Amino acid sequence: MGIRAFLDKIEHNFEKGGKYEGWYALYEAIDTFFYRPGSVTKTTAHVRDGIDLKRMMITVWVCTFPAMFFGMWNTGYQANLIFSNSPELLAAQEGWRFALIGSLAGFDPNSLWDNFIQGAAYFLPVYAVTFIVGGFWEVLFASIRKHEVNEGFFVTSVLFALILPPSIPLWQVALGISFGVVIGKEVFGGTGKNFLNPALTGRAFLFFAYPAQLSGDAVWTAVDGYAGATSLSLAAAGGVENIMSNGITWMNAFVGTIQGSMGETSTLAILIGGGVLLITKIASWRIVSGVLLGMIGFSLLLNVLGSDTNPMFAMPWYWHLVVGGFAFGMFFMATDPVSSSMTNTGKWIFGALIGVMVVMIRVVNPAFPEGMMLAILFANLFAPLIDHFVVQANIKRRLARNV
Amino acid sequence: MSQPTIKEVLLNPIFNNNPIGLQILGICSALAVTSNLKTALVMSIALTLVTGFSNLFISMIRSQIPSSIRMIVQMVIIASLVIVVDQVLKAYAFSLSKQLSVFVGLIITNCIVMGRAEAFAMQNPPVLSFFDGIGNGLGYSAFLVALGIIRELFGAGKLMGYEIIPVVNDGGWYQPNGMLLLPPSAFFLIGLFIWAIRSWKKDQLEKPSFKMASQVSNKEAY
Amino acid sequence: MSSQKESTVRTLVVALLVCLVCSVFVAGAAIALKPTQVENRQLDKQRSILAIAGLGQPNMTGAQVKAMFSGTITAKLVDLETGTFSDAKDPMTFDPLKAAKDPKLSSALSSDDDIASIKRLERYTTVYVVEKDGQMDTLIMPVRGYGLWSTLYGFIAIKGDLNTVAGMGFYQHAETPGLGGEVDNPKWKDQWVGKTLFDDNGKLAVAVVKGGVDPKSPKAEHQVDALAGATLTSKGVDNLLNFWLGQNGFGPFIANLRAGEA
Repeated sequence: MGIRAFLDKIEHNFEKGGKYEGWYALYEAIDTFFYRPGSVTKTTAHVRDGIDLKRMMITVWVCTFPAMFFGMWNTGYQANLIFSNSPELLAAQEGWRFALIGSLAGFDPNSLWDNFIQGAAYFLPVYAVTFIVGGFWEVLFASIRKHEVNEGFFVTSVLFALILPPSIPLWQVALGISFGVVIGKEVFGGTGKNFLNPALTGRAFLFFAYPAQLSGDAVWTAVDGYAGATSLSLAAAGGVENIMSNGITWMNAFVGTIQGSMGETSTLAILIGGGVLLITKIASWRIVSGVLLGMIGFSLLLNVLGSDTNPMFAMPWYWHLVVGGFAFGMFFMATDPVSSSMTNTGKWIFGALIGVMVVMIRVVNPAFPEGMMLAILFANLFAPLIDHFVVQANIKRRLARNV
Repeated sequence: MSQPTIKEVLLNPIFNNNPIGLQILGICSALAVTSNLKTALVMSIALTLVTGFSNLFISMIRSQIPSSIRMIVQMVIIASLVIVVDQVLKAYAFSLSKQLSVFVGLIITNCIVMGRAEAFAMQNPPVLSFFDGIGNGLGYSAFLVALGIIRELFGAGKLMGYEIIPVVNDGGWYQPNGMLLLPPSAFFLIGLFIWAIRSWKKDQLEKPSFKMASQVSNKEAY
Repeated sequence: MSSQKESTVRTLVVALLVCLVCSVFVAGAAIALKPTQVENRQLDKQRSILAIAGLGQPNMTGAQVKAMFSGTITAKLVDLETGTFSDAKDPMTFDPLKAAKDPKLSSALSSDDDIASIKRLERYTTVYVVEKDGQMDTLIMPVRGYGLWSTLYGFIAIKGDLNTVAGMGFYQHAETPGLGGEVDNPKWKDQWVGKTLFDDNGKLAVAVVKGGVDPKSPKAEHQVDALAGATLTSKGVDNLLNFWLGQNGFGPFIANLRAGEA
């Protein structure tokens, strides 16, 4: 119990009147990271359950690991694959990352280690910047407002890092997470009071502010000077046939050995993490089913309608599922307990709205090949309204029963 | 009710009672014309003049206006002024008026102009009303110019069309923030300005509409 | 006093007087400013034409622009149907964009022909000819077409050989700043200068290509790099050039000019 004893010993310094009163938030964050918080419910709501916000958030964080580790490997694999096909690109690379990778590993796409190091050299700096900059804002606001640092940030930071393309400049990462945390969450009063998902808010900011670094063909691999379209932009150009003719099978897309945002490519890895979330009931199965059904329903409808000029109309639902950020958004973003609908019926509607919108944006909007981020943010805005109508309908039904 | 002084009506609207910052009026044009400083400035001048003179004229004939048609009379006067401003802009600054497009015309429906006419000019003498209009116009201008500077400087690396920060596409180092050139960015910026003003002048804070009961007893938190 | 102020007669009188004063005021301003407005509107257009064609300096005064225009440039009306110069309208006052909306002066395009998505094509349009020593030195033609969010309005200027591009640019559009909005980037516009429109067989070959022009390719002299990250705007520019320089646009006119029959 060395840590407990140490924490107890220094605790009085951080309490009211103590020497480091202003740093209480930081102390509390470290204390409750190791141990259960010492607070108990005082007012009317009494829930007897071992799970609290902290445990919930940590579970989500751990559940992103399959996607994260796969993402690191895949980022490296994609880069090394390009290097092995065109050695002149390898010779043209430079910078600190390249030197670092070179000193630790080679550039062989068949080597697990080489791929992993290559990917880690791209993902870890992004994650570290996200964590440090975002954490700075979190602690700053917690200190001024005199409340504890919230573990929600663990989740926000890892999700934010996973949905970025590997080639993103680190200063943009810092700017994006700052916007996400401050404008997406803290201005509304912090965790629990935000109506948008902070990670997506940050990404949306970057998407509109620096479109050249977050869209197009050149950003999805960790290789400078290489342009390779994502499966979605291939589909936008020529439908599923175009994806296939570029050598990507459905199985590739499902397992995730394709280009894309660092943590979004592997539907399989996301499914593993997402499955755990569903089993532990941290992610709402209603939202996930709603998103899935909405997407399947609307894409089937578009399949039937068809279009001569837009090949995306014919894209079947099982392709929609495996390309882009759909799976990741469905399990990790849409199910954010704060910004989604709260009522059970509302969760179905909320999910379905995301599912329909994502297909709509992908298929109909010519400017945005991917629609998951915008669809979820859009549905976030409607979540309170959906809840309101569900509650009103419920009240009406109950009143009618009593007449 | 004691008569406010000219200095008060002129300076109060800039920080203490800003039409955009506190009353949240005139947001539409503040989003639309502030992507560069030049249009923001022209729009500010146009609105300040229209507010000032519409207040002056309305105040001059305020005792003659029958209350049943006072809104229509105000509208006619404001609309005439706006059309004249629009014509002048078209004549002497054609390319700017093209960029401002409908927004000069929409000064007619700008809540600040109507609001000052109805709330101030109908009760106060002409000179005081004139300065009240100018003061509110200046309050609006302060926001517009600040938005214009930030949006043009960080969105395009320029001010008034002159390069300040060399941007990447022209061989410089600065990667411009494209979102600042899109109208929604003004929403965020206005929000941040309001946040800053209200942190500075606490009396502008709104009362919270409800307070949540404390849910947990924590031995030291809160 | 107050009852008198609210009486119907008085209300009418006040309303009448206010309207009268205001209308005189507005009408006076409109009439007094009209000549300056017309002049400025023309000046604005002339300035953008000169800038796109790469003539004169960027910071010329109004008088210089006017002098240059009246000295070397003549506006001429072209009948797009026959591909010849025409005298049907006065080119100085004729507005092709307005004409495109007028059913008498324009025709609807079928969706197969309408690659630039402009819906209606005017019968007559205005081109600007720069003459030097009695020879056509530069021909400036208006173009327009749909990009991603908006219709791009611009001009393309070609040299006297009716093949080499002297300049290309847009004076009005609403594409995404930083992506499609880069059509205004001087560096991108400079790429156009010196490109040729037609290949050796006289076929239209100008194109905006994605992923960069291969300088070794024989087509490189007709091609311009697409804008990075702006696939649809680039495609729009490609489409609108193909439309306006093609059979429905200025194609016949250029052919006639070459044959000396325009």
